[in-house]
Amino acid sequence: MSPPVYDWDAGEYLTSEEERMIDELEAMLRPPVLPMAPYPPKAVLLASGETMVVRQASVDEVDTMLKVIQPLSWLDRDFYNIVAARLFAELLGWKTYRVRNEYCLVGVIDGVLAGIVNGRLWDEKHGVSFHTLTLKRGLRVGSHLFASKMEHHIEYLGQDEVWIVAESPIGHRRWMIEYPLDKKFEVQHELGGAPSWVLTRDTYFKAKSRLVTGSRPVSPELLAKSYPLREPDLKVMLTQIEHTLEARV
Amino acid sequence: MAMTVEAAKCTNCGKVSYPMHFYCPACRGTKFEPVPVEGEGKLITWTRVYALPLDYAVLYTTLGIVELDMGVRATGQLDITEPKTGQRVRAHIGKVREINGKDVTGLVFTAV
Amino acid sequence: MRDVAIIGVGSTQFGRAQWSLLKMMCEASHDAIVDAGIGEKKIDAVYVANMGSARNNRMAGLSSALVDRLNLYPHTVSETIENGPASGASAIKHGLHSVASGFCDLVLVCGGERMQEVNNFEATEFVSYLSHRYAEYVYGVTLPSLAGMFTRLYMERYGLKPEHLAMVAIKNHANGAKNRKAHLRIPITMEGILTGPDALNNNPWIAEPLRFFDCCPVSDGASAVLLAPAEMAKQFKKTPVRIAGMGQATDSQAVQDRPDPTELTAVRMAAERAFAMAKLAPKDIHVAELHDAFTILEIAESEECGFFKKGEGHKALERGETKIGGKLPINPSGGLKSRGHPVGNTGVSQIVELVLQLRGEAGDYQVPNQPQHGFAVNFGGFGNNVVATVLKRGV
Repeated sequence: MSPPVYDWDAGEYLTSEEERMIDELEAMLRPPVLPMAPYPPKAVLLASGETMVVRQASVDEVDTMLKVIQPLSWLDRDFYNIVAARLFAELLGWKTYRVRNEYCLVGVIDGVLAGIVNGRLWDEKHGVSFHTLTLKRGLRVGSHLFASKMEHHIEYLGQDEVWIVAESPIGHRRWMIEYPLDKKFEVQHELGGAPSWVLTRDTYFKAKSRLVTGSRPVSPELLAKSYPLREPDLKVMLTQIEHTLEARV
Repeated sequence: MAMTVEAAKCTNCGKVSYPMHFYCPACRGTKFEPVPVEGEGKLITWTRVYALPLDYAVLYTTLGIVELDMGVRATGQLDITEPKTGQRVRAHIGKVREINGKDVTGLVFTAV
Repeated sequence: MRDVAIIGVGSTQFGRAQWSLLKMMCEASHDAIVDAGIGEKKIDAVYVANMGSARNNRMAGLSSALVDRLNLYPHTVSETIENGPASGASAIKHGLHSVASGFCDLVLVCGGERMQEVNNFEATEFVSYLSHRYAEYVYGVTLPSLAGMFTRLYMERYGLKPEHLAMVAIKNHANGAKNRKAHLRIPITMEGILTGPDALNNNPWIAEPLRFFDCCPVSDGASAVLLAPAEMAKQFKKTPVRIAGMGQATDSQAVQDRPDPTELTAVRMAAERAFAMAKLAPKDIHVAELHDAFTILEIAESEECGFFKKGEGHKALERGETKIGGKLPINPSGGLKSRGHPVGNTGVSQIVELVLQLRGEAGDYQVPNQPQHGFAVNFGGFGNNVVATVLKRGV
């Protein structure tokens, strides 16, 4: 039996009927979830010789991630500000049950957070790709994580297609040409900007050997080192983001 | 749409140059007549280029330098999936680029 | 003809600039002026090295803008020198001529480039303007594609392997990691970029057989050197470094026009001319900054300049001869690969790095045993306009 709820505005304890109403409202605001298979972690050997563990993040890790993401919402370069602001909202929405069927994958190097990707299931067969945020630049972390995200939608969540739009025209053009993506302009992308492009199951498998790498399983020791998530040093992170151009391609 | 790519044949000594220079490399003559760059040749070297300017919306293009039997060398696009240095190729004219929305034609080589 | 020495050097951080093009150039110029300690003496001329200010930064007459911003008018004359990626060394060459001839005493040479104002596709497009308009450019030829075709020929003829290209990148990244001002300061490993399971993704194709880590980044940056007659140089506080020799040569613009496309004739002739003027030989050089816009070029240039036999540059690399502690350290500053390549500026920054080495001021990446003679190659276009420089410590 849950403890009685005290209503501060009314200055009294709620009756069980009011309790029931709030629980009902909460239930309405908290939508039902689709079952989602977990993402099996993998290890990626980066150009610098470091190993990045790509694994699913849990809702308990959102607070740490929000702390790292928030300062980037002021960085007016390479669309960091809008990606950070939107990712912040999406992860917070995930934690407070206001966004449904969301997942989040992280790239962790030596226990330190190096990149975040997220998305959600529109329904069983269609996914929506949200964002890719790279915290350690120069090592194609974003590229690896985006591919992991596609891997998750198609292979582990068993979907048929993923709806994608990128904020950065350069980033979008890269994926558009690289996979390649098809137009699906009849679908307005949830982010509220442009209509969607789509990665189909077919295209994914044709591109997989070229674009999706990493080795499984991850040894228990290596996986354990990626918990708990540690924040990168803020000043170091900001400096190297500003100095390194992501790609020449 | 231009149907040929032209080399310059010196009217004085007959040497064919491609690309054209102001003076004939052999006799320093300054008068030339156009001669189409065509025919077969040998592929000297090639590459697949992935980092392309905005005019291209493809993943990569294949380029090569060809030593043509007619006596000049030419750079062109290769319509060959797996090029090999030394293979015999034939010159065609095709669309190679878009500049300011207009199609640009040039040499495209296929395997013989 | 007087001897000419470098009395001051300055450089900004390379990478993604916070500052505008002009501010970067002012900062580098100021650093060089302070480094020299010329006090109230007037600068007679400013030569600016830049390739893209008109297209990328909407600025024309860049040298006049710099003279204005530095309050050097009306006395100081100036020109902007454009020679593609060899603008830097060309501008220094003009400074050398002005001082050697007696027309000028103090000459400031400042290079700068701010590429980030256009995106990567436009930067690739812009640099591809160096190729031959109708024989190359219209086909989508980019500088990386010319380097790719060149590399394939080199591999087939001389047995060069992808490992050798990776070794150059790894060496230069390791050096650049010690250079505070370098653009890319991430050490890389052979496993990470070539042999490991994820290497293909870390190091994707740019122009086969060249990969991502075989190509230098697109960088912003500015550098400056201050030139003076050798006699006058003696009165300033730091050890002057004499420009002992400079040589330049050209080649056909279209790579196909060259009888042997693996030969970099302009590099060889430019080096020969520079050595002749300096009365030195390749074996006399203690440290070199070669133009490694693509890793293959470091190897090819080291051969054409006479440091190694043609086709054997990669063997010297294998033996570790070009590392900082080796027989002939090449690109101890990280080279274009790691230090960065603000296109018009590179030639100037190569000379700045050599001066620091010859003065013994290079800190963590200092070449040991007090190098006396330095050498640089600044490679314009795809080898169709090359400038080589020989520097000697002291006057």
